[in-house]
Amino acid sequence: MSVEPFNRLVKLAARAFYDDITMKGDNQPKTGRSDNRGMAVVILDALTRRQWVREEDLAKDLKLHSKQLRRTLRFFEEEKLVTRDHRRETAKGAKIFSAAVAATSDGQQTGKEGEEKQKMHTHSYCCLDYAQIYDVVRYRLHRMKKKLKDELEDRNTVQEYICPDCGRRYNAFDAMRLVSPNDEYFHCENCNAELVAESDKLAAEEMGDGDDNARRRKREKLRDMLQKMEVQLKPLMDQLARVKDLPVPEFGSLQAWEARANAAGRAANGDSGANDSSKSSQGQGYGGTPMPFLGETRVEVALSGVEVKEEDSKPDAASTSMKVLPPWMIKQGMNLTKEQRGEVKQEPKVDHNSTPSGLSDDKKSKVNDKEDEKDIQDAYIQAYYAAFIKRQQEQEAEKKKQQELENASNAPNDISSDRKVGMKSKRQEDERDDDVEWEEAPTTGTSETHKLNDLNVQADASGDDEDDIDWEEG
Amino acid sequence: MFFHIVLERNMQLHPRHFGPNLRDKLVAKLMKDVEGTCSGRHGFVVAITGVDNIGKGLIRDGTGFVTFPVKYQCVVFRPFKGEILEAVVTMVNKMGFFAEAGPVQIFVSNHLIPDDMEFQSGDMPNYTTSDGSVKIQKDSEVRLKIIGTRVDATEIFCIGTIKDDFLGVINDPGAAA
Repeated sequence: MSVEPFNRLVKLAARAFYDDITMKGDNQPKTGRSDNRGMAVVILDALTRRQWVREEDLAKDLKLHSKQLRRTLRFFEEEKLVTRDHRRETAKGAKIFSAAVAATSDGQQTGKEGEEKQKMHTHSYCCLDYAQIYDVVRYRLHRMKKKLKDELEDRNTVQEYICPDCGRRYNAFDAMRLVSPNDEYFHCENCNAELVAESDKLAAEEMGDGDDNARRRKREKLRDMLQKMEVQLKPLMDQLARVKDLPVPEFGSLQAWEARANAAGRAANGDSGANDSSKSSQGQGYGGTPMPFLGETRVEVALSGVEVKEEDSKPDAASTSMKVLPPWMIKQGMNLTKEQRGEVKQEPKVDHNSTPSGLSDDKKSKVNDKEDEKDIQDAYIQAYYAAFIKRQQEQEAEKKKQQELENASNAPNDISSDRKVGMKSKRQEDERDDDVEWEEAPTTGTSETHKLNDLNVQADASGDDEDDIDWEEG
Repeated sequence: MFFHIVLERNMQLHPRHFGPNLRDKLVAKLMKDVEGTCSGRHGFVVAITGVDNIGKGLIRDGTGFVTFPVKYQCVVFRPFKGEILEAVVTMVNKMGFFAEAGPVQIFVSNHLIPDDMEFQSGDMPNYTTSDGSVKIQKDSEVRLKIIGTRVDATEIFCIGTIKDDFLGVINDPGAAA
């Protein structure tokens, strides 16, 4: 159950429909300072990062006045985007909620237990209702399209007429009563004035009484609007289509959610490894602090999820989802594996091709470019590292050659074992059974080199095992 | 749309009809009373096709009238939204035209007339295409689609459109005139 596509839906819908909604009080004059357009978007965005949240906490986090927030939330409740719950509770009740919050946010939530008084307080909680949001947005789009199309085709619309004098409205059902025997217009029942067809519901008023030219212009305008709507709301519609078959994240009622979150929190404390996935999915949904990178815990989820693939197949739609999926996260993981393998000296190309192949379809080309760049860097580092080791070995080899010259008497011994002798410290010699016979001889001359090499025992050992051959050739 | 249904009605019969052909008188009076009326619920009663049952009469105190409960079969006509009807144009004006399909009045407003038809005022107001090949005037027969009905207790009024495929004039206006 991934919330991310739904969150994206909410964000798109917020920007599409609630961008210029202003929540001003009835008595407040609209000044520049009180112009709070865009606040609705901010609040919705904040809610996508949370599950159930107490409205005061949300206000605090957003640095909004709680009244202002409440007004907006009430508006969203009417718009069916948000479910709210009010209950009278003591500090204890609040604590249950705080505990639930703490459980979902992995204990990062700042404790608010101390603030509650012993009195009963009415607290309001709110939460996004994703299932309903999906329906509401779909319905809204449907209505918009239908209205425009109906007007465009003049289909199934009951013509309305309005009296220019007294403002009385009629529709075509009244036509029978409105005809006058004298001329070919409809006349008002009250004042006997000529009625005007109210045809320009959406088009501008100046087009007048719907003669043909005006009608044509109106239709062009409507068609334009329809087209513009299609283009501008395309991301939203795409997102709707994407979300269509996904399971809707359901938080349940406040009580149910609290109980669940608390249980999950306890379970997580018990064995964090076991339900890591569930915890992470909750953790990213709720953030104590509205940090943009809170979603990063979900990188693994997003990688395996189908929705990410779909999302990224559309180049223009991926902007926000890409933010949640930090590319450096993955690369770091790959670096680690490479370093591990680098010690064993595997060629980097192979493992590199294997890991990103899973990712490459997930990722955008941009990320691939970045990865390529990183590849090159890594390859360079590895090559450098390899060269460094080689050089060390060569140096040692030279030293050993000198030793060999000195200890020519040991000639029948095979070179590799000879070299090992040169490398190994005295402490390790007794472990080697086969070297026992000639052990004593080389130690005489090379005690200092042993000591020097002592530091590199590990690295040399691994290097030696592989480098036997080229060393022999040299 | 036409329906054949059974309705019931309480008929009041004057005492002077009491006699050997009381039943015939009752049916005749039923037809006279009911046919051509409109009820919002069932639509227009077109014709009575039979009388099922005449109940026991009840003599009214004072007047001597007798009330019979009568069950009868009848054909009713009820227009529906979306229905296609053929109608005769009764009046044309700048706002559109009125047509009748049997007892039903239908109004087609000018924005539900195809855009290529223009209103021509004059002695015989009409809507005509630019090439003059199609003309809607009084007594033209048109096929239209009902897009809305207003059903009152005693009256049904419809709004129609001819702005759709296969709708419009279905006869030669010259021949009709």
